[in-house]
Parts: sequence; structure tokens; C-alpha cells
Amino acid sequence: MTAFLLQQLVNALTIGAIYALIALGYTMVYGVLQLLNFAHGALFMLGAYVAFYLMASAVGPVGGTIGIIGLTVLYFGTFAIVGALGVGIERVAYKPLRDSSRLAPMLSALGMDIILRNAVQVLVGPQPIAFPPLIDRAPHDVGGVYFNDLNIEIFIGAVLLMVLLHLFVNRTRLGIQVRAVSESRLISQLLGVNIDRAISIIFFIGPGLGAVAGIMYSSYYGVMTFSMGIIMGIKAFTAAILGGIGSIPGAMLGGFILGIIETFGAGFLPLLSGGAIGSEYRDIFAFAILIIVLIFKPAGIFGEAVTEEATVYKRDF
Amino acid sequence: MHDQPIERLATTRSRRLPAAGLASTAVIVLATIAAVPLLETYQIRVINDVLIYALLASALNIVIGYAGLLDLGFVAFFAIGAYSYALLDSPFFGVHLPFIAALALGAAFGAGAGILLGIPVLRLRGDYLAIVTLGFGEIIRILLNNVDALTNGPKGIMRLYTPELFGWTLSTPQDFYFLLLGLVAIVFTLVYRLEKSVLGLAWAAIREDQDAARGIGINTTFAKLCAFSTSASIGGLAGVIFAAYQRFVSPESFTFDVSLLIALIVVAGGIGNLVGVLVGAIILVVLPEALRGYDQYRMLIYGIVLVLIIMARPRGIVPRRYGIEWALRMLGWK
Amino acid sequence: MSFAFDNVSKNFGAVVAIREVSLTFEPGRIYSIIGPNGAGKSTLINMAAGSYSVTSGDILLDGRRLTALKKYQISRAGIARTYQNIRLFDHMTALENLEVCLYREQIGHVVAEILLPARSRALKADRTARSMEALRRFGLEAYGEQPATSLPYGSQKLLEIARAIMTQPKVLMLDEPAAGLNMSETAELREKLVAMRSDGLIMIVIEHDMNLVMSISDHIYVLHQGRTLAEGSAADIQSNKDVQEAYLGSAGELDEIKRSVVGRQNRVRIRLDAGVVRHRSRGVSR
Repeated sequence: MTAFLLQQLVNALTIGAIYALIALGYTMVYGVLQLLNFAHGALFMLGAYVAFYLMASAVGPVGGTIGIIGLTVLYFGTFAIVGALGVGIERVAYKPLRDSSRLAPMLSALGMDIILRNAVQVLVGPQPIAFPPLIDRAPHDVGGVYFNDLNIEIFIGAVLLMVLLHLFVNRTRLGIQVRAVSESRLISQLLGVNIDRAISIIFFIGPGLGAVAGIMYSSYYGVMTFSMGIIMGIKAFTAAILGGIGSIPGAMLGGFILGIIETFGAGFLPLLSGGAIGSEYRDIFAFAILIIVLIFKPAGIFGEAVTEEATVYKRDF
Repeated sequence: MHDQPIERLATTRSRRLPAAGLASTAVIVLATIAAVPLLETYQIRVINDVLIYALLASALNIVIGYAGLLDLGFVAFFAIGAYSYALLDSPFFGVHLPFIAALALGAAFGAGAGILLGIPVLRLRGDYLAIVTLGFGEIIRILLNNVDALTNGPKGIMRLYTPELFGWTLSTPQDFYFLLLGLVAIVFTLVYRLEKSVLGLAWAAIREDQDAARGIGINTTFAKLCAFSTSASIGGLAGVIFAAYQRFVSPESFTFDVSLLIALIVVAGGIGNLVGVLVGAIILVVLPEALRGYDQYRMLIYGIVLVLIIMARPRGIVPRRYGIEWALRMLGWK
Repeated sequence: MSFAFDNVSKNFGAVVAIREVSLTFEPGRIYSIIGPNGAGKSTLINMAAGSYSVTSGDILLDGRRLTALKKYQISRAGIARTYQNIRLFDHMTALENLEVCLYREQIGHVVAEILLPARSRALKADRTARSMEALRRFGLEAYGEQPATSLPYGSQKLLEIARAIMTQPKVLMLDEPAAGLNMSETAELREKLVAMRSDGLIMIVIEHDMNLVMSISDHIYVLHQGRTLAEGSAADIQSNKDVQEAYLGSAGELDEIKRSVVGRQNRVRIRLDAGVVRHRSRGVSR
């Protein structure tokens, strides 16, 4: 039993790390623009595809492992490319609508999601494509618990990125400005912070992290499809809400919690139901968590509840 | 002075229908009937597609356009209706319900699902509601794909029975053409009357300022549930017809993209405007047919269209003033 | 019919906004609640209407605890209010803003309304007739078909009051109805308010315009720092030392105003605002 639990923990931490990365992008954008960036899932998906083609153009036929150095270069390269795309999308599709109704930017984001997903489908084809593991998958056996370098790499890689992000928004001047804008756009403006630049940075980092998460996800599951972003978008939202939407530590925590609940839940389902319900239903866990959190504690763990005073003055939505 | 009493007499007795309105409507009805032998079967199929989407979009319009709620998982109700027909009228379970019963049940299941989903979800803020409904749509698709015992999984359910309505067997696209035309006319009428009713007023108030609406005694949760379940029941109804038309259902037909397309028709055509819904359905269904060879680009083009429309005409293509009232005036009914 | 705040307290986190306030109201009278800014007047209305929760104490309408009810239930129980910062249904016409108030009555017949044309015509006619009559009472009938947001500011304020009355409330709470109105608009408002007095209605007005307050109120409650400072008729309040101190800081300034008023034909408009006195007569500001 202990081995089984520890095994689940290994899986949970791995997938939780990925969820944390993708939730970060979601939460940062929401924090600053109160916009649910529906295109975020597509950017996650794009991370995998862009990485694949980077590798293909660099080393020819894609497959096997590429070592730590190669991996780091791949991550940063993809981060930069998808991050730049994120900035572009914000300028073109969201910025002009910044002061419109709340509905307009959401619909624009939906449009961008459709465009990105279908552009990939058109360019590459609808079939799933095998994605190499990038890291040696030879399993290590520690007391009946199997894990491989891929688990370690994903976990450590994600945590490193989160540490870097934390340092950036807490220790650098630019990062603190970004955080300020994320908390209150108006006051930051009054203090002379360059809002557009801060927003662009958020749209560089958020999608960038999502893209790296996409690479990790595809290398872990061995496959990438153009539609894998839809469900991941929902999970990213769930993790972000769980931790408190708008909160960066919240997204990190939420991602791991989601990973744990989902993995243990899906792991135990077949046991509990005598095989009647299989683990294909793991995705439904995320949804169930989402509904429960939104009904009972919509502010999440670190979030702020909407104040009473806010309801007395007219609000959009 | 002396014609006043006659006027009053005319309005207090039965209302006399305007001759112009009757005449123009009769012309339109005759035209739609006469068109059938003149059109190729392929063209009739396209029109049927337009009508089904118009039906779906008129339903979603109640939620997005009237009540102001963004539902991104509408395909779920469509799927529930379609699969209810597949289960109740096919060799899969060997059940064969009369078509009328299947239609009623499809609408009922849709409404039920709408209420079940609505109760926990309608209290959420607008953006959260969007994601949650999106999730619900995906959950339904996952269930359809995996609960093989009920749905036959990805293989879908085939050889659905041909529907029969009071002795009239619907087997050709032409048959469905008439059924759909009739249904669209009925549903559009009912939805329009809903918009003009006191419930429609409440929805408008909720859209404007939900809290102030509560302040004048509107039970906003109930009103939103009404919007949700009405639109869901129409979605279920459309699902039944779709399944009977295709004689086959599979999870493939009920993806997120379908929810998006229906939302796109509402938003691009003209939010809250039934004429816009019709125009949107025509444009978004017919246009890709014109680009037959570029089928794979269809969704891509939709996405680009959506973004462009949101930027340029956020309220949609058809302006609000060209709504049903304008159409009725044009036809001579007012 | 009775309406009361029973030992009500309200905290916003560590901030105590209302401290054990008890107020009673009787039908057929116009009450005013006055006090310097921040005294907690709007908070009282918000609690009664259900926008704010009550930290302790109760708000009772005919013995029924409003604190146990949802917002729309409070409205249906007979509470109506206007907002400090007008909250009309902006893009709906003035007429529709009033028609929608009849939702409570007519929603029961909505299925008939949809299916039976004759019924729907009757219901619609009823709505329109009653709403037009309400508009006429407030002199707004010319604006019937215009979007609410396009009305002049003063008319919007009146429309909001008309909407509140449309629900046939037992208690009508007006949050600074004269804010932003000029002299003639305020006079018009005064007329309308006095005309609305009726046996089955409790009117509660929160205001800073002392002329208006003193001229229409049957009873005044003065709030200061979350507590009831004083209550009584207009005369009582005007001569109450505590009130003068809370508003004015000293008795002397009020005497000066009284002196400048005596013998003048034109009205002197006084604003008492957080301890600072401003008065203006015939365009000369002092």
C-alpha cells in the first residue's frame, strides 16, 4: 500500500508541477485584466508544437533524448517564441477592447483560441503526433516505487521556473511593478507605472510558462494533439481558482493540489468501484473540484472575497 | 368625430388581421413550398443545416442575448437531445418510441439538464460561468465517449429509426426541410413572445444591473434558470431532430467547436436579435459551403471572423433596430 | 404596520460603522436621517435592503426579521430604495424601467402571456397603463420611450423614485435624493415627496440638504459616528446643542447664519457637511 501511495505521489507531483505552470499564466492575466484568456490552452498546446518543430529544424528527425543542455535551450527557446506570440495577441486582440464591455475581450479571446487551434490543425494535420520523452526514461526503482528522470526533470524544471518567477515579481523593480499592476491597474497608473509594458510582460511570461508546461506534458504522455489545450485550459482555471484567482502563490499551490486530488482520485476510482469506473474519468475530477470550490469558496485559498461594498455600486457582470 | 365609435368597435371585438401582413406571409409560405422541386437535394441539405443552427442559435440567444449570460457549453444540451433519440428510437436498446414522444422527451431532458446545471452555476459571475459551462460541455462529451454501455462510446449509435409524424414518414431531406421550417417558425415566434413578456423585461433588467433587479423584487436566480432551461430544452429538441435526420450519432458531432459556432452565430449575427440569428446562421453555414474545397479552413475562418466582428461591430452584424419588429413592419403586420 | 432597527451594529472588519442603533418608524410619516458624512446613514439603508449583512441586531418589518431574507425577498416584503449613485436600467426605456417592477405580479401568468395573444395584449396594456400613470405623476411622461440614461439628471432621480414606488412598498428609503439637483429641481422633488405621503407608507430620507430636511420631515434622526445622536422634530433638532456641535463645531456660526437670514426675502441655502458650514444667498457665497 505504501508503495502504491508513494507511486501516486510521484505521479501527482509531476502532473501537479505542470498544472502549476499553466495555472500561473492564467492567473497572472486574470489578475491584471480580469480577463479569462481562453487562448491560454491553445498557447499551452502551441508550446509542444513549437518545440517539436524547433527540434526538427535543429537536429532533423525528432526522437529520443536531448540531454539537459539541449532541454534548457529548448525550453527557453520555446518560451521566448510563444511568449512573443502572447504579447502580439494581447496587442492585436485584447488591447483595443480593454475598455469595452466585459463580454467583448472574452469573445475575442475565444476567437484567438479558435484561430490558434485551427491554424495548427490546418498546418500540421488533425492526427496526434508522437512526442519524444526528451529525457532518458529508464525507471529507477526505490522500494517498489517507480519513477524516471522525466518525473524528476519536470518537477525540478517547473519548480525552478516558479522560483525564478517569484524572484522576479518580488525582488526586481520591473517585477514589482508587474505585481502592482496586477493588484490595481488604476493606482499603478497614478504612481507612474508603465501599464502597457507591465501587461506585455505578463503576456510574455504567462504564455511562456504555459508553453513550457506544454512541452513537459507532451514529453510525459508521449503525444501531442491540437485539441489538448481545451481541457488543460479548464484545469488551469480550476487550479488558479483553487489557489485564489489573481494570486501567484495561489496558482502554484492550486496546481499541485489539483494534481494530487486528480491523481489519487483517479488512482483509487477503479479500486473503489470494483473496476466499474476507470481512470478515463480523471478529467472529471478537475471539473468537480471547480464546481465545489466555486460554490463554497469562490475566493480560493489565497484569494480575496468580493467585499460587500462592491455590490452596492454597479458592477459589470 | 363620427368614425371614432366604429374604430372602438373594431378594436374591442376580435382583432382584424392586417391584409398586407397576411398576403406577404402567404407569399412567403408558398415560395418556400414551391422552392422544393426547384432546388437540388444538396441545396436542401444546406438549408436544413441552416435551419438547425438557426434553431440552436435562437435558443442560445435567450441566454446570451436576453439574459446576458455567456454559456460556452451549449452543445451539451444538443447532445443530450440527440442521444435521447438514439437510445429511444434505435436497435441499440430495441426501443421504438413515437416521434412525438421522442421530441417531447428530448425537450424535457434538455430542460432537466439545464435546471440541474443551472442551479449550482447561475450564481457565479459572468466569466466564471463561461468556463464552467465550457467544462460541462466537455464533461458530457467525455461521458459520451466513455460510458460505452449507454452510448456505445466513440463508435456511436447507428441505424436510428426513421421518424413518423401522424402518418407522415420523414425520410428525405425534403421532408425534414418542411419539419424544420415549421419548427423554426414556431420556435422563433415563441422566443420572440418570450422576449416581449414580463420575463423578457426581467432578463433585460438582470442584464443591465442584476443587483438593482433584485432590489425591485426579481428573483434573479429563478429568472436565469428560466432562461437556461428554456434554451436547453430547445437545444434538446434540436438534438432529437438532428439525430433523426442523420440516423446516426457519435461524440464527434458534439465538440467544443460546435458550442463555439452556435455562440458565434449569436454574437456575430446580432446579440439579442432573432433576425440577426437567422442572418448569422445563413452566413456561417452557407459561406463554408461556398468554400467547399477548403473545408479544413472553416473553423479557422470562423475564428478570424469572430475577432474581426468583435473589433469592428461588437454588437453583431445586424443592428438592433432591424429586429423582429422591423421584419414584421416590412411584411405589413404592423 | 411597523418598521424598526433593533439594536443594530455593523462592522466592516475592524471598522465599526454602526453602533447599536435602534430606530422606529410609523406609517404615514416622512422621516429623515441626517448626520455628517461617514456617520453611517447609507449603511443603514444598505442593511435594510439586504446589500450588507448585519453584524448584530435585527431589522424588523411588521415583526418579520429582514435579516433572514434574501435581497429580492426583502423587496417583496415591502422595502424599496433609491441609490446614491443612480442605478436605473440604463438602456431600457423609462417606461420599461417601471414596467419591469410588475414582474412580481405578472410572472405567474407568463406561460399564458406567451401562448395567448389576447392575454399578452391585456397584460402588456396593464403594464403600460400603470407605468404611464406613474410617469405622469412625476412629470416624466414625455420621456417614456427614451433610454433611461438619456434623461436629464434630475429626471433620472425622479424616475428612480418612481420605480421604487412602483413596487407598492411599505417602506421607501431614499438615499440623498436631492444630491446634484439645483434649486428648482429640489423644489420639484420636495413637492413630489410631500405628495407621496400616504397612510400605508413609511418614507425615510437620507439627506444633506437641510432646507429640504427641515421642511418635509415629521421626525428626524441624527446619526453621528455610527450612533444615534439625537431625534425629534425639525425644531427640536435645530435647537439641539449636540447636533450643532457635531455639525458646526460651535454654536456661534449657526447664530451668524440666522442673523444673515433674518429680513431677507430670498432663501438662504445651507449645506452642513462634516463640521464645515457653507451658506449662500442670492449668489453671494460666504
